[in-house]
Amino acid sequence: MTAPGTSLLAPEVLAALQGLKLRVRHVAEGLLSGLHQSPRHGQSVEFAEHKEYAPGDEIRRIDWKAWGKTDRLYVKRFEHETNLRAWLVVDASGSMGWRGKEGRLSKLEYASCLSGTIAWLMVRQQDAAGLLAVDRAVRRSVPPRAAAAHLGAVLDALAALEPGGETRLAAAADWLVERAARRASVVVFSDLLDPDEQVLRSLSQLRRRKHEVTVFHVLDPAEIEFPFDDPTLFLSMEDGRQVEAHPRDVRRGYLELVSAWLERVRRECAEADIDYVLARTDQALDEVLLPFLEKRERSAA
Amino acid sequence: MSLHFAHPALLWGLLLALLPLAIHLFFRRRPKPLPFPALEFVLRARRETERRLKLRRILLFVARTALVAAAALALARPRAVAPEAAAAVTAGPAAVALVLDASASMRYQLGGRPLFERARADLLEVLSGLGSEEPATALVCGGPAPPAAPPPGFDRAALRRLLREAEPGFGHTDLSACLAAAARALSEPAAGAALGRRIAVATDLAATAWRLDAPAPMVRTPAGAVRPSVTLLDAARGAALPNLAVTGLAAEPDPAVGPRGWRITATLARFGGGDPAEDVPLSLHVGLGAESRLPLRAFAEIPAAGAARKVLSHAFAAGGPTAVGVALPGDALTVDDEAWLTLTVPREVRALVVNGSPSPVRQRDEAFFVEAALASASSSVRPTVVDAEGLPRVRFADFDVIFLLNVRTLGAKASELAAFVEKGGGLFLALGEEVDPDRYDAELSKLLPAPLHLVKTAAQRGAPGAAERAARFAEIDWDHPALSVFTGPGREGLLSVRTWRYMLLKPGERAGGAGRERVLVRYDDGAPALVEARRGEGRVMLYTSTLDREWSDWTIRTSFLPAVQRIAAWLAGGLEERREAPSVVWASRTVAPLEGQRILALVDPQGRERLLPPPRPGAAPGPATVTPDRPGPWQVKVEDARGAHLEPRLAFAVLADPRESDTTRLDPKEVTAWLGGEALARVQGEGPSGGEGRSVPLWSILLAVAVAAFLAEGWLLA
Repeated sequence: MTAPGTSLLAPEVLAALQGLKLRVRHVAEGLLSGLHQSPRHGQSVEFAEHKEYAPGDEIRRIDWKAWGKTDRLYVKRFEHETNLRAWLVVDASGSMGWRGKEGRLSKLEYASCLSGTIAWLMVRQQDAAGLLAVDRAVRRSVPPRAAAAHLGAVLDALAALEPGGETRLAAAADWLVERAARRASVVVFSDLLDPDEQVLRSLSQLRRRKHEVTVFHVLDPAEIEFPFDDPTLFLSMEDGRQVEAHPRDVRRGYLELVSAWLERVRRECAEADIDYVLARTDQALDEVLLPFLEKRERSAA
Repeated sequence: MSLHFAHPALLWGLLLALLPLAIHLFFRRRPKPLPFPALEFVLRARRETERRLKLRRILLFVARTALVAAAALALARPRAVAPEAAAAVTAGPAAVALVLDASASMRYQLGGRPLFERARADLLEVLSGLGSEEPATALVCGGPAPPAAPPPGFDRAALRRLLREAEPGFGHTDLSACLAAAARALSEPAAGAALGRRIAVATDLAATAWRLDAPAPMVRTPAGAVRPSVTLLDAARGAALPNLAVTGLAAEPDPAVGPRGWRITATLARFGGGDPAEDVPLSLHVGLGAESRLPLRAFAEIPAAGAARKVLSHAFAAGGPTAVGVALPGDALTVDDEAWLTLTVPREVRALVVNGSPSPVRQRDEAFFVEAALASASSSVRPTVVDAEGLPRVRFADFDVIFLLNVRTLGAKASELAAFVEKGGGLFLALGEEVDPDRYDAELSKLLPAPLHLVKTAAQRGAPGAAERAARFAEIDWDHPALSVFTGPGREGLLSVRTWRYMLLKPGERAGGAGRERVLVRYDDGAPALVEARRGEGRVMLYTSTLDREWSDWTIRTSFLPAVQRIAAWLAGGLEERREAPSVVWASRTVAPLEGQRILALVDPQGRERLLPPPRPGAAPGPATVTPDRPGPWQVKVEDARGAHLEPRLAFAVLADPRESDTTRLDPKEVTAWLGGEALARVQGEGPSGGEGRSVPLWSILLAVAVAAFLAEGWLLA
């Protein structure tokens, strides 16, 4: 694993996202100022930082003193103005440690990059980002904070993740149901290879509790295309199962099953009002993130 | 319907059909382990496709095996043959005679199967197709004479047993005579007056088995003599039967090779068509049983439908009786691929020539001519010449035969000489000026066939008219082993000898017992010229003239050299009787036991003993007449003072009958014409032209199967 803050936030990815603003589709429970329409105005006055004035900001929150000093309009921001509280749920099970080809990111590394980038963007615009690493149970949690210094903690936690154990995303859902009282955005990074086929039903519980749920379905291209030729003894990465098969014999059935599975996941996500993004580890991160962020922006507007 | 293969040896290729199985069992690739996250999908995919894959694997295996097996079978050129025999002979009820050709040529292997097997199967099928009202009989013709067929009857089981137990012979069969025998059987009242008469002959249609100049078979019926209908079942199915054979073998001494050198001449022939045979390997075998060796290999060229002679020279390591065989590589008819011959190689004879009148002029030397004759390259005699003065220093026991040429006296050696002869040694006495009759009568009284009397001068050599007045050999015992070599014009060499002087013998005064002397040659005045006598175990021969040119000119006659050599061998006991030439199978021959022996059994070429019937009680053991039934070297087991043993001097060789080697096939038109035309006779199984529709080639079908299997395999793999 590389040092936090470097590879996880690749400059080219960040440069590509420089002009975009993360928008949320629904108004989160929490404070909202600036571009965000919050139902609870000025409930907290704990100054957090200045923000350059932009059309749409409340005029009453302009810091005239600062204008007098700098001849620029700034808006005062307070802690409660954080308009979004996001939980980044990263699947760190054993299956996420696989890479289909040397030189390619493993699924966990790819998911870490994605989640780290999103955390960086959120913190940069004073949104709170927290981390939940999960395998069979919640392995690590970092509560959401909007402070810039919090980003390091998130990225450090991501960098320290090692794949292992079985997948059980329901544990993360239960954990969030129990602990996330305020509305939040839950972004899940997982291959969804969960023995529990009702894993999306668990995530839909969060949606029913007004959380905004997004699933980044992280898969290696080899899992989708099954490009093997020689007789192979396939070994499970999460338990002791193994199966000997000639890829030539099972490819067709495998591809049909994977295709049906992806289709089912998409359909169930749509039915549960969960955003779904298929992230292949051979895709550039901006290719994955930009459509997602643009969609967010459009829905927010 | 039966299956035949043009190249049955290629059926070994069927083993290649095991390749897919062997590859599956022994060359399977080991799977590579690979951790894989989506294992569940692989498991489910495998579970869902497992039955289909298993079926596909089986189909693949079947397709690959079928591909190889069909290709291998196709290369063997199979064809399905449906004999028409049954249909042919069942047209109308008739009394039927089944004739099975069991001659040697029926051993011909066609398509990996002897013709005899095909012929038997054909006749069994005919038998199965007979109606219940049709009586039948059967003849198996394989012996020297056609067998007597029983009257036609309804005991099908007995006929079937007869045909199934029949074996092909090694001799020649006269099928014309067999058909006549079958016609006689059909003439029996048991054949039924109202039924037709039919003969079914299963044969290879070899032309030599038929005598078309003989009367065609006729059946006597109450209505008179009628021709039977005849069906010839061609066991060869119209195919040509090319055959290479050794049809003759002869041997004669070859002095150029050495004293025991022989020249063996093999006659090789090619029958039944085909191309000329080039570089045919030929091997010469010497000896029988465990002593058999293969000292020589050669190559021969045999023209198509012709014969060639190949001469092989061989020097035998030792003298005595032996056997030689010449063999070709085995072909479809193996019975005539080798021929054997028995011969007796002369043993080496050690001769002592005592020169009683040496001369510095070689032509006048007493021993000059004798030594030259005995020491020739072709002679098995090794002479040692000594003067009369050197006689005391010689041991007679070191020699097999002693030549005393005009020796004045033996002195003290006379008794040693008598003992030498008594123990089996040979003695030849030639006379001359040095010989004193009285002294000889005194010293050699026990050895001389007759006492010497006086010298008679028939003519003075060189005098006018001496040639006409000289004595000539008149009464000659040509049957004597030493003289039997002279036959025909060769006898002139003895009859032309002129003798001017010779010693007369005292008449009526025999030194030995009566009957132990034998006058082999007399002069034209009746006086003995050459007399032989047995003395103890040995033999003594007395020549009453000289063996130089003083008293006779025998030494310059052509008969001198062979006569002296054979006399030396005879006196030394090394001259065997002339061996009989090999006979052919089924030819009778007489085997005469040697003195004191009784023949117990014959040992055939395969090593099986054939016991001879014991002689009648009280009868003296004598010659046995035997009829060998297979070619090859035969040995004779005798009983004598040594006990029971094989007697190599009695071994003899039997040749395959050359008529059976000739596999030239008879023109079906000729034989049907002889049998009464196509209305009465037909040949079935003449091949594609004569039996259209009976033979179905299968190789094209098999190739189609192979192509289909190949395509199926590709489809399954795709």
